[in-house]
This record gives sequence, structure tokens and C-alpha cells, in this order.
Amino acid sequence: MSDERDVIEEVLRGQIDRFAELIARHQQHVARIVSRHVPSDCVAEVAHDVFVRAYTGLSNFSRQTPFEHWLSGIAVRTCYDFWRAKRREELPVSALTAEHQVWMDHVLAAESEDQFREQAGRREATELLEWALGRLSAENRLVLTLVYLDGYSVREAARVLGWSVVNVKVRAHRARHSLRTLLRERKLQDDTLQ
Amino acid sequence: MTPFNDEDFKKVERVLSDAHRSRRDPSLNPDWALNVMRDVRREALRQGRSTMPLGLDRLVWRTAAMAAVLAVVFTGSVLIYSSGDAVELSTLFSSEFDATVALLE
Repeated sequence: MSDERDVIEEVLRGQIDRFAELIARHQQHVARIVSRHVPSDCVAEVAHDVFVRAYTGLSNFSRQTPFEHWLSGIAVRTCYDFWRAKRREELPVSALTAEHQVWMDHVLAAESEDQFREQAGRREATELLEWALGRLSAENRLVLTLVYLDGYSVREAARVLGWSVVNVKVRAHRARHSLRTLLRERKLQDDTLQ
Repeated sequence: MTPFNDEDFKKVERVLSDAHRSRRDPSLNPDWALNVMRDVRREALRQGRSTMPLGLDRLVWRTAAMAAVLAVVFTGSVLIYSSGDAVELSTLFSSEFDATVALLE
């Protein structure tokens, strides 16, 4: 990793082209993080912003933590800014159909591991997830994704977000409650229509 | 009509979580990195216009800190050494003032 620190030092000394090495080394990691937070057609754009931000803030990199951790924080916060901007634009969120209702009934009836896996692999699962996340605030969405979907510990999520542990705990609890309310409302709505 | 119970929530959350984790890793276009570097160079140019050469900013801040310390020392010494001469100073200024008034008249 000292090699990477040398590259960072050289970029800071003005050898900008060496930043391309950092991009090549970490682009897949950043794209993976970003793809878990934003729609697939926006991944390239947001990952692009992550690296430009990383370059702009490179002099603030403390060198006491691995570069990849520092970059992960920038990636998550860039995704957060993406959703804050989107919320201001108030883009319409795709509607759910009867297929999603059928899918949910299958999930509720599932018992075996294979049945769960099969339902998770279906298109409706991703669509329902996007539908629910699209109705949460940028903060709740981010915390829910990190803690409940990606499996980060509260402490890890707090580090990546730059928030306090208590704040992440409270947010995570509220976000999960909001998700459950959305699912409950959706289920009641579908049951009423049937 | 069956409302969700805790067990139902756990089932749905588990499947949604699995769906989230099984998303395929994205692949970035080969030109993507070139575009990022283009913007990074633009950013570097923009910063270059407004920032000082490497090391100069540190020198400026060190000089500023030293100047501040010197200013405090100088002000302190003036206050200490001039307290005994306060009467002389007021006399000096009052005689200066009298001279100016006399000139104006």
C-alpha cells in the first residue's frame, strides 16, 4: 500500500496523470458501492463524481486510514447527495403492478431456502425494493441500504457517513419502521383491490 | 385481508436484502476513466489558478502565526513600558495640540 501512498504524494505534487492509476485500481470498488445505492443507469455518472471529488479533496486524506476506506466514504456521501438532488427534482417513482402483489404472496408463502432464493432472484424483488426505497428520505434510504441491505455494522455505517453512532442507530430504526409501514400500506391496498 | 405480522416483515425483508446483494457488479465503459481524467485535469487547472504552489501556503501560514506572536509581544511591551510615561505622553500631545491651535489662529 506504500506504493499507493507514493502515487498520492506524486498527484499532490502536481503529477495529475498518476491519478489515473488510482482510478484504475479502485473504479470497480467504487462502482460496486454506487450501484447499490443509485439506479443502474446513473452508476457511471455518480462514480465519475466520486473520483472528481476524491481528487479535489485528496489533500485532506489523512493517510492514517486505507485509501479505499476514505474513498468508500466519498462514494456513499456522493450517493446521498444524488438522492437529495433527486428529491428536490421530485422525479416520479415507478408504480407497482399486480405482478408485485403475486410476488409478495409467494414470498409470504415461502418456507424453504430454495423458495426464498428463487423469489429474491425475480425482477419483482428489485422493483419492489426500488419502489420502497424511492419513497424514503435520502437519509433513511442511505442508512437502510447500508445497515439492513449491505449488512454494515452501525459503527461502520457511522464511519462511512461521517455521522455519530447514535444518529445512525436512530435513523436505522426509523428507516426500518418507514419501510415496514410502506409494505403494510401496499399490502392493504392490494388486498382491498382484490 | 391479512395485515403483515412480524414474521411476514422478516420474510419480505430477507428476500429484498438477498435481491439487493445479488445485484450484478456494474461494468464501466472503457472511455469512462478517460472522461474522469479529463474532468480531473480541468479541476486541477481551476485549482491551480486559485491556489499557491505546493509549500508556499504553509510558509504563509507560519509567517502569519509569527507575525501575530510578534504583534502580541510588541503590544504587551508598549503597554508595560509606556504606563510610567502616561503623564509625559499626555503633556506631549496637549502641547502638540496647543501648537496646532496657535498655528490655526
